Amino acid sequence: MTQVPKGIIDKDRDPEQLLVLLKEAQDKAGYLSEEVMAELAESLSISRSEVYGVATFYSFLSTKPLGRNVIRICQSLPCYLKNYQTIVESIEKEIGIRPGQTTDDDRFTFTLTNCIGACDKAPAMLINSDVHANLTPEKISQILKDYK
Amino acid sequence: MSSITIALNGSEVTAAEGKTILEVAQENGIDIPTFCSVEGLSPTGACRICVVEVEGSRTLVGSCHTPITQGMVIQTHSQKVIETRGVIMELLLTSHCGTCYMCEQANACKLRAIAADLDVGLPRFQSKKRFYQIEDISPYIVRDLTKCILCRKCVRACNEIAGKNVFATGYRGFDSKIVVDFDEVLDKKVCRDCGICIPHCPTGALSAPVGITEEKKATPLIIRS
Ligand code: SF4
Ligand code: SF4
Ligand code: FES
Repeated sequence: MTQVPKGIIDKDRDPEQLLVLLKEAQDKAGYLSEEVMAELAESLSISRSEVYGVATFYSFLSTKPLGRNVIRICQSLPCYLKNYQTIVESIEKEIGIRPGQTTDDDRFTFTLTNCIGACDKAPAMLINSDVHANLTPEKISQILKDYK
Repeated sequence: MSSITIALNGSEVTAAEGKTILEVAQENGIDIPTFCSVEGLSPTGACRICVVEVEGSRTLVGSCHTPITQGMVIQTHSQKVIETRGVIMELLLTSHCGTCYMCEQANACKLRAIAADLDVGLPRFQSKKRFYQIEDISPYIVRDLTKCILCRKCVRACNEIAGKNVFATGYRGFDSKIVVDFDEVLDKKVCRDCGICIPHCPTGALSAPVGITEEKKATPLIIRS
């Protein structure tokens, strides 16, 4: 098992903090590798399966490497009714991948998500932590230009 | 602990405060079906088959995790309860693999037994089903998660009785699955051979690796067409 770089896991925390620690570890390491999850399990004295269970439940945590930028298009009802599908299609066209995939140059990971709280401005998406709302297919390529 | 008086299926019953409806019903010889509850372990309320009617409650309540309160009026087998349990049963079977005639557990399976008891045959609903590879490399336990109904009893039995924390629930929604480590095949590295989880499983998802004919003890099972 490879060494986890120092500083990814803050050791003096209790198991109740698992979710927070997973989030922090992901922010630092980019994704939750088995090494990171194993070390977290050990340092909190909980099982690997428990760590994995929590890590795979939350859609904003990832156990697979992500691209530098993560696009999350909302697929919940209001966005659905406002034709989110046309946004999905224009992103697919723009970056050449489908939801669930990462571009070869690791620039983008593209996924669908449930409600991101921007229903009043549907259809909406997140890129990293930026909200982009009232989307139209025409806006997409301009928005994506800012993410390298 | 003080005692409480409730009305259970029309009769007045006294029981200790803090008990669940299920426990009081059992004490009084009333049979409520359960899949996920384990006596002595913390309730999860995962399967819903134990629902009962409580006067004044907007919905039916899970009897395994609802404590009795003074003056509670409970019906464990009203028409509404039986119908609801039937639908819950159908829903459980909808995403279950449904290959009972191929299952070694079939006539000793709690899922099937309760389905038969509720007069549920093939479910009316159609849905996706999941098929996993059988995990049989452990010398102590065979896991066939295709048959799992996610009652989480094995998780609690292993955590709370065996103290080994082998299992957890991974993923979410339809993808939910009882995982070992980082979703690895159960082998003897993580699991000691206590076998505690096996009899807790209400389906054929967990079994001991024995010759099939050794364990056939129950009577034939007839399933409504
Ligand atoms: S056999 Fe014992 S240690 Fe192994 S998974 Fe079952 S309860 Fe846990
Ligand atoms: S393997 Fe058996 S005990 Fe464990 S969750 Fe599935 S059905 Fe329940
Ligand atoms: S036995 Fe009560 S919810 Fe499963």
